[in-house]
Amino acid sequence: MDENKKSLEGTNQEKKSSLGTAQKVGIGGFIALIFAVIFFSGLLSDMGNWASAFDYSTLTGNFGTMTSETATFRGNGGNGAMDGFLFSITLMPAVILALGIINILDKLGALRAAQQLLTPLMRPLMGVPGVGAFICVTGLQSSDAGAMIIKEARETGMLTEKERFILAMWLFSASGIMVNYFGSGAALFDALTVPIIVPLLVIIAGKFIGANIVRIVLNIKCKGRDISGE
Amino acid sequence: MESKAEQKTNVLDWFIEGARKGWDISIKNMMPNIVMAFTIVQFINVLGIMDIIGTIFSPIMGIFGLPGEAITVLLSSWLAMGSGAGVAASLYAGGVLTMRHVTILMPAIYLMGAQLNYMSRCLGISNLPKKYWKWCLLVCILNAMIAMWIMNLIA
Repeated sequence: MDENKKSLEGTNQEKKSSLGTAQKVGIGGFIALIFAVIFFSGLLSDMGNWASAFDYSTLTGNFGTMTSETATFRGNGGNGAMDGFLFSITLMPAVILALGIINILDKLGALRAAQQLLTPLMRPLMGVPGVGAFICVTGLQSSDAGAMIIKEARETGMLTEKERFILAMWLFSASGIMVNYFGSGAALFDALTVPIIVPLLVIIAGKFIGANIVRIVLNIKCKGRDISGE
Repeated sequence: MESKAEQKTNVLDWFIEGARKGWDISIKNMMPNIVMAFTIVQFINVLGIMDIIGTIFSPIMGIFGLPGEAITVLLSSWLAMGSGAGVAASLYAGGVLTMRHVTILMPAIYLMGAQLNYMSRCLGISNLPKKYWKWCLLVCILNAMIAMWIMNLIA
């Protein structure tokens, strides 16, 4: 007990914990406490209406079940945090593989080559250096790999903060579009009045429009200076 | 000098080094963000506010030559691209949407699709500071509106 108290005091001194008597408790703290009790108690879990959205176990959700032969370990029909957890595991092999390959390419100088070769093209198009082309091409297939190249390029100083914002925007709208469009979009291909390629071209044009909106706004707001990362 | 030469040639080590980074990013960056995104989606679904949003935004759909029900396509695609396409397909099968409507909606489903999911993947992994994320969300919706306007002209 004494030891407990001691360690509590210790953490309080380091200001790492909000526990402790010295700090005043506002009304917000009591409301948060009431919320916490309700949230974790499971009182609202059986309500079956909107109120159960404030219940811990409801938000935790369920794992999907493997009833169909095509289901992976993620299962079908899962939801909430549990489904998100398994979903992120399904993405991990691709992320690990992509970063392994990207590291090799980086060491071999592929990113620097793209930087040198494609800067004259990418500058007028999106206001980013040549490595951006590499990010865009990768990002059409895999948003995760594209995002990781952005991270690498930013950390090695190939991109400024502003350029990272522009490229992240390009990547974000209609992400991983090749896989998604020809995957889930196939359900609607029969219902189109235009060739399949037309909406896809509009989507890619939209990505450039979005990136350039960010570019223009940043240029107006920052007048040539870089934005701060913090 | 010798160790440097070895470093230069060992492709497998480069792979492992990168793969290890991939593991770190997945566990420390991607997974917590995705769990958060899925929890928000669950919250919105259980709360049942999608219908309310749908009623509010249905007049706006008219601007793009779409019936009010079309908003449900966009809202569900905002949570997951696949479910947006799925809702559109079922509304088309039920005769609520015509081919022209589907064509107008098609690019928008993807341009503003699966935002919560990709927010954690694109913006989280690329390490873009969180204070810029809301602008990214906004621009995506703007993108979708521009695309619907363009498709309205050519559909």
